[in-house]
Amino acid sequence: MNLFGMMETSGSAMQAERMRAEVVAANMANAETTRTETGGPYRRQMVVFAANQGDPAFADSLVNVSGALGSGSFSRLDLAPGVHIAQVVEDTAPPLKRYDPSHPDAGPDGYVAYPDISPLTEMVDLMGATRAYGLNGSAVQAEKTMITSALDIAKA
Amino acid sequence: MGDQIARYLDLAASEAKLTAANMANVDTPGYRAVGMDFDAEMRGALSDLDRGTSPSRVRVGLVDGLIARPDGNDVSMDRESLNLAEAQLRFKTGVALMRQEDQRVMDAIHADNK
Repeated sequence: MNLFGMMETSGSAMQAERMRAEVVAANMANAETTRTETGGPYRRQMVVFAANQGDPAFADSLVNVSGALGSGSFSRLDLAPGVHIAQVVEDTAPPLKRYDPSHPDAGPDGYVAYPDISPLTEMVDLMGATRAYGLNGSAVQAEKTMITSALDIAKA
Repeated sequence: MGDQIARYLDLAASEAKLTAANMANVDTPGYRAVGMDFDAEMRGALSDLDRGTSPSRVRVGLVDGLIARPDGNDVSMDRESLNLAEAQLRFKTGVALMRQEDQRVMDAIHADNK
């Protein structure tokens, strides 16, 4: 049994949650950006989490599962020790139009396209990311305690 | 006794590992929480040791009775925190028992020095 594998699991989650918080920060920073490299206003970014396939050796040692606790089919994927960001997707919602003919990025009709970013949604997402980060941080703390106490066995 | 405690430590570590996996996927859409029946596994391990057979694999399954969120994820933060605390305490208990066991052996070795 590898205790350090647990730290990897929690570490992957902390990394993913931090990335999520970074994306939220980028969204909030660009809430009023009307000009991007690809043209048009900034589009809201979202992260997609996916469970890790995991260490096959660990999965094999545990995939002896039929009729264990729950019911239903059970694959290696369900035993994912960890998480990763599968992709960062762009919001496809149409941009918000605001009338401001003097703006350099205003269209011929005088409307400027602004990104459709709601600070409320972003803050809620940020809170979720912070909480999950903290949860996995305390998991790392617990794992450290376990490893330290395992080292104590050898001490006289 | 040492073998039993070793198995107990193994199981506690497995439990912590599963909890860590659940915690890592607390925001993964469609992820279902996994768990194991610690008591049943420990009973199985003890009877394996009694019969002298090699230890059987830990049986892991999806946990029943959890409420899934609209995205299909059913990991509950407080359940996982509690499970981790429990696994941690079990591990500490195992370590304490193991040390006691070692101490007994050491005492026997040094008995004539006293």
